[in-house]
Amino acid sequence: MLGPLRLSLAARAGALASQLSQAAGKGRGETIQGRVILGIEPDALQKLSVGRDIILVSGTNGKTTTTAFLARILSDGTDENVSTSEFGANMSAGIATVLAARPRNRYVVLECDELYLPAMCAALRPKVVVLLNLSRDQLHRTGEVRKVANLWRGSFTGDEMTFVINRDDPFLEYAVADAGHVLRVTFGGRKHPDAATCPSCSALLDWSKNDYRCSCGLGTSSAEIRADQRLSGPGRNAVLAIEAARLMGAVVPVQVQTDLTAEAPDRVASYRVGNRQIQTRLAKNPESWRESLAQISAKHVVLSVNARGIDGRDTSWLWDVDYSSLLGKQVVCTGERRKDVAYRLSVQGIDVRLADSFALAAQALESDASDHEPIEAIASYTAFQDLAAAALGLNNATTGVDR
Amino acid sequence: MSKLTLVRLYHDLLGTYGDQGNAEVLMYRARARGLSVQLVEVAPHEQVPTSGDVYLLGGGEDGPQAIALDMLHKNSGLNRAVENGAAILAVCAGFQLIGTSLPDSDGNIVAGLGLVDASTIYTDDPRCVGELFVTPADDAAGLLLTGFENHQGRTQIGSTMQPLGWVESGFGNGLLQAESDGQVPEGIVHGKVIGTYMHGPVLARNPQLADRILESIVGKLDPFMDPLAEAFAQERREAIQR
Repeated sequence: MLGPLRLSLAARAGALASQLSQAAGKGRGETIQGRVILGIEPDALQKLSVGRDIILVSGTNGKTTTTAFLARILSDGTDENVSTSEFGANMSAGIATVLAARPRNRYVVLECDELYLPAMCAALRPKVVVLLNLSRDQLHRTGEVRKVANLWRGSFTGDEMTFVINRDDPFLEYAVADAGHVLRVTFGGRKHPDAATCPSCSALLDWSKNDYRCSCGLGTSSAEIRADQRLSGPGRNAVLAIEAARLMGAVVPVQVQTDLTAEAPDRVASYRVGNRQIQTRLAKNPESWRESLAQISAKHVVLSVNARGIDGRDTSWLWDVDYSSLLGKQVVCTGERRKDVAYRLSVQGIDVRLADSFALAAQALESDASDHEPIEAIASYTAFQDLAAAALGLNNATTGVDR
Repeated sequence: MSKLTLVRLYHDLLGTYGDQGNAEVLMYRARARGLSVQLVEVAPHEQVPTSGDVYLLGGGEDGPQAIALDMLHKNSGLNRAVENGAAILAVCAGFQLIGTSLPDSDGNIVAGLGLVDASTIYTDDPRCVGELFVTPADDAAGLLLTGFENHQGRTQIGSTMQPLGWVESGFGNGLLQAESDGQVPEGIVHGKVIGTYMHGPVLARNPQLADRILESIVGKLDPFMDPLAEAFAQERREAIQR
């Protein structure tokens, strides 16, 4: 008797806390809402997931975009209502908030932080887990890529979950080695920058032909799905989302898949500075910077780098990225660690300037760029959040990501 | 000297934390002085050249570190280069493997290359992660050295060994040196061999250390004014007070 009552009380108290938080101008409030729910009913995650079909999406890059995409095609392709994470809150509290919001929705598509994934698998008992990729990110928090892969492997057992993975990533192939059901998607292979050695036996991986093979057997399982090799990172993630949706019974028209190759979803937002819209890409680790740099076509570029917790407090990784595509362009660096990135660029022979703020960086380029010449930007995680918060009229820099 | 040769060892294995940037900074600062420089990349299974001037080893995860150590044991090139007067900058996993002993990926203690007297162990203490600030051991009034450290191992350097510096803030080697009077050492300096736990890359954040390595090979360098480099290094030094 007390159980359902407590859960209901927890949900209502959480919603109230969220409203108070929003009224106080402190962001969207989904994290505080989840904390209140879990404070009153510690088993809320288990209880709110009973009888529902849950999909978790995790990996280093593309969680938010892929989650949104998957929720959309699941909603379009089935007769069911779909709950989903909307603002990137991907730890226990944010997930509790999503589950509590519409407890009768059958499908729940949740973005999940890499380190929280084992606990969320145990608590939520998802039907499907989509694993996008695993590469270096926030090393001060995760330690090593291999540690995350090991943590995953130890908890990915049993027959209840089906994993949808990009098998070209050896860390993912290793993580699902003991899993009961795996749907492997290949994009034809591409050397993984952090996987010179085998995650399983530590031997040097054979990367000839852009695919990996190890004498211990890693890499020999064949893929069920072969997808287009030319897809960008977001495009590859979207293919995984489509396969996950199909596993859940959704009908996904061929056109949806075709559209992907034309324009893959990405973490891009347009921010107005003065009279100008600036296309800004979120990039938060070496792999996502490489992807973003490859997509920059403007001659005038702003780079904004912070090193707060979720950005990774260590900026060393900036040196693992090749910036030669910026040679000959006008580049202005801003953000709290603008000197770190500016010095790295200068050593690569790129002319850089510094600006105290994103707006001043844009202004510095404004005088050089004629009206029809675009300015593009790449921003690290919190720098991107700050821009989003400013666009929403919020003063607070933390816009609802619970870390 | 006709041409300065930098040798970057096993970038795929020991390049996890941006440490390959150390080679780029050395090249940049050498060329700014009109020196001719070449960078030789050595991949796993390739012979380590013995005639290089500066050898660079970076950080890496446990498994890749074990493979790098195995390759270097089978291949005496690095030890011979040091006998020939080469300089080494070895960071983190690289620092551990130039020492006398270190844990392998299963935690068993194995022999290092023995280029410096330094033994690394794992303890149950938490991982050493964060900004690291160090007073140079050979110049207490000199500029603070700064870096970012991220390591599980703790390293004891021999009582006759000179550390690179003494920890002002952070963990450094994480173990006291005999007779070090309570000060915690960071890294090691032995002839032209330097080991350190500082990422950053360390030579980007400490241009004076880059010049010191170059000068150990080519002698006194002309001054080089690089305001951005100095401003960046200064900002990192000032972070200790915040």
